[in-house]
Amino acid sequence: MLVFRSEDHVDRWCEAKGMAKGAILTIRQLWGLARAWYGDRLSPQWRRRTPEEAEETFKEIGLTGPFWELR
Amino acid sequence: MVSGVNDFEALDRDVRLYIYRRFLDAGTPPGAAETSEAVGASASDVEESYRRLAEGRAIVLEPGKLDVWMAPPLSARPTTFRVDVANRGRWWGTCAWDAPGIAAMLDADAVIFTTCPDCEEPLTLGVERGRLGPPEPVAHFAVPARHWWDDIGFT
Repeated sequence: MLVFRSEDHVDRWCEAKGMAKGAILTIRQLWGLARAWYGDRLSPQWRRRTPEEAEETFKEIGLTGPFWELR
Repeated sequence: MVSGVNDFEALDRDVRLYIYRRFLDAGTPPGAAETSEAVGASASDVEESYRRLAEGRAIVLEPGKLDVWMAPPLSARPTTFRVDVANRGRWWGTCAWDAPGIAAMLDADAVIFTTCPDCEEPLTLGVERGRLGPPEPVAHFAVPARHWWDDIGFT
């Protein structure tokens, strides 16, 4: 999970590495994911999300499709 | 001596919170012996707690050891994501997701220093007044979600 200057840079890097392109997130989506995932991490009540809850979180941020499925 | 399920849960909670507190205060995670002293539990109980927390994916241990590698979003090993939180400290974020996750976890402004893997130019992101920017960069997740934990170091 890396940050690139733009999607063009991702395409070039994947080609150079011979890697399949994965999912692209905007900075807004990345921040949404960071807040949803880690906002409660220091709470004594924190518990790991179930796969269903994690998929729901992805969906709320607009991350849908087979790449984001956990089940 | 820890025996019942509730005891395990309480110990794991205390151990987990101590790992984070110490990681945030000192910049490195505590060893099991130090945690044992801090939470007032035996060394063997705390070692078991470290293993349970790792099995539950609350933390990641160094392969074959009891040393904490990741207490997400914090990484004990240097990464390409350095996160600076004013008046709090500097830590390595595990990845693109976890670097802003440190700011989210602390509910604080932060500066994230990384490098574009393609052009190798420095990239700086910032969290200011509850927003991450600038908007132009993108994050690339190479591994589909259901395979993240196949090799969490690579992910």
